[in-house]
Amino acid sequence: MLTINHLHKQFGSLTALDDISFDVPDNQITGLIGQNGSGKSTTFHSILNFLKYDGQIRWNSQPIKEADFDAIGYLPEERSLMPKLTIEQQIVYLARLKGKPAKEIRPQIDDWLKKFAVKGKKTDKIKDLSKGNQQKVQLIVTLIHHPKLIILDEPFSGLDPVNADLLKRAILEARDQGAAIIFSSHDMANVEAVCDRLVMLRTGEVVLNGTISEVRDQFGKSEIYVTTDWTEEQLNQLPHVVKVQNIRGSRFLLRLDDPSKGPEVFEKLTDGKYIEEFSQQPPTLDEIFRMKAGISHE
Amino acid sequence: MNKTLIVAMETYLRQVKSWSFIVLVLSPFILLAISLGIGYTSATSSSDQQRIAVISDQPALRKQFIKANRDDVKASVTTTAAAKKSVGNNNLAGYLVLSADKTKVSGVYHSSDSLGGGMRTKINVFLAQSQQQLNLANAKLSAKQTKSLAVQPAFKQKIQTNHGGANLAKIISFWVLVFMIYMILITYSSVTAQEIASEKGTKVMEIIFSSTKASKYFVGKIIGVFGVILTQIIVYIVGGYGFFQIAMHLDNIKQLISDNQTLVNDVIKNMLGINLLFVFLGVIIYTIISAFSGALVAKAEDAPKAAQPAIYLSMIAFFLTMPFQSNSDALISKILSYVPFFSSYFMPMRIINDNASGLEISISLAILVISIGLLTWYIGQIYEGLILQTDDTSFWKRLRRGLSYQK
Repeated sequence: MLTINHLHKQFGSLTALDDISFDVPDNQITGLIGQNGSGKSTTFHSILNFLKYDGQIRWNSQPIKEADFDAIGYLPEERSLMPKLTIEQQIVYLARLKGKPAKEIRPQIDDWLKKFAVKGKKTDKIKDLSKGNQQKVQLIVTLIHHPKLIILDEPFSGLDPVNADLLKRAILEARDQGAAIIFSSHDMANVEAVCDRLVMLRTGEVVLNGTISEVRDQFGKSEIYVTTDWTEEQLNQLPHVVKVQNIRGSRFLLRLDDPSKGPEVFEKLTDGKYIEEFSQQPPTLDEIFRMKAGISHE
Repeated sequence: MNKTLIVAMETYLRQVKSWSFIVLVLSPFILLAISLGIGYTSATSSSDQQRIAVISDQPALRKQFIKANRDDVKASVTTTAAAKKSVGNNNLAGYLVLSADKTKVSGVYHSSDSLGGGMRTKINVFLAQSQQQLNLANAKLSAKQTKSLAVQPAFKQKIQTNHGGANLAKIISFWVLVFMIYMILITYSSVTAQEIASEKGTKVMEIIFSSTKASKYFVGKIIGVFGVILTQIIVYIVGGYGFFQIAMHLDNIKQLISDNQTLVNDVIKNMLGINLLFVFLGVIIYTIISAFSGALVAKAEDAPKAAQPAIYLSMIAFFLTMPFQSNSDALISKILSYVPFFSSYFMPMRIINDNASGLEISISLAILVISIGLLTWYIGQIYEGLILQTDDTSFWKRLRRGLSYQK
């Protein structure tokens, strides 16, 4: 398990990280979300020891030492490989730096290329691959040595939905093998789809931390999805409804001032009759993200 | 395998497999081969025209002449008719008809041109010796008399060590050595600085630094580049020796070398030994500083100008040696022979001029070795910060930040 305690990082007068604390447990995927400049990459760079920082970062209760490097798989935010090497040379070189002998890695390369549907032969030069395929090779490099701590900085950026699914599958597979995984993303749908836990940073501070359901439940079930023949004006007249949003056709999203008033709204709306949809939920991660990020602009 | 060695191996293989390296290493040999080839072709095509045929009705006499003058005789021509034809076709310089009766050995040379001085002497010597053998046989002398007549006058050459020759050797050694260091440094400063600069700020370096310590990576890079330099030097030494052996088969080069044997020996002696060690260590310290200046560029795109600081330093040291070439025991020269970056030029210069003691050489070497160690350690410590820093500030600002970087 990776434990971060009271992490603080200052760049001159700018506080990049302010008393950050959270855990990345084994066998779980932790999503690190936040707007640009919120401190996600700085957190990753601190974990990887690229920066001098205050506070504590522990891997299995010990400071991260050189001996732990082999157990780390890291995907940086921007993609970058060595363009003059072939796919095979690139994968083998970086895997050897992770302590894996070439003879162990070479036989696995074809399977990994197939798994990520990389278009090209392992003898192709990196510079001759498309951007998407280079990205996939970089993902292979991150995962091929079966790391125990996986750090992925914006892994989904630039991937189409098909390739994003391939990546999700690989991340879930690594988790099932026991790895502690942390990744940053702007796409809440991806975070919701694969994450067990969530940490949200805003201007260097943790504003959300917990399992996905814990985080969502913090905000109460203040939203109701309804499919009804009522008009928007009629819905606005309902008690405790503070906002009505037409999603599509006869489907609406109602926001309540008090989640406990859901049954009362239900009574009024149905009046004992059939209704196609009435679903009271906490806000989505996307809404929470916007809500939390929005506070900084207020 | 140790991660430093993995990095060294990767750097080395990538460099030596590159076309630029192959061209760099092979081009002098290709040029040499072309010039030797031209020399050889012109030598062989003209040699027949300078040779002669030997015709004789006495096979033993003919054989004896051919044995003594193998290079000057075309032995395949055995008859007067064939010899005449060859001379007519300009394939032979001429032909010598040897004859002997009971008392006299004679030779007649036939040609359209008069005989050259060298060949005339050779023929005269041969005829005189053959005549003497015949005279001795005809005189029917006793063994003792024969022995007495065989006594030769004594002639010995005692060559005084020529001061001018030694000076010439020093001048040649000095120029060869400083140019050798300078050329290696200029070439590899660029190679090293660009190799490092091309990685500046790239995210693949983050992957690498998440796999091994930056200091180990830096040392691996330096070892890799040094391996490339060593490979080039070894190829030059082995190839140079090979070409020397081939060139020695060409008469004029053989003659040139043997005429200047002492000079050649002195120059080779000055080039090897402790001076070579100074060259190697000089190359290492400049390679390290080149890597450092490569790491100081603002971004990977600036790689081509990355080597400039190291090259300027090397140029300053190179040009500073000039005024001291004939005055190597001047105080400034003595001081600079201890200063790293300069000592690789100045101490060999002092050694060549015989004005550095063993202790002075040892101290200079020790300072150089310690400096290399400290510099490697220090740059290794700040290397991660230098490579991962990508802000486009001024060179001095980056240098200051780099030097103050400590994790």
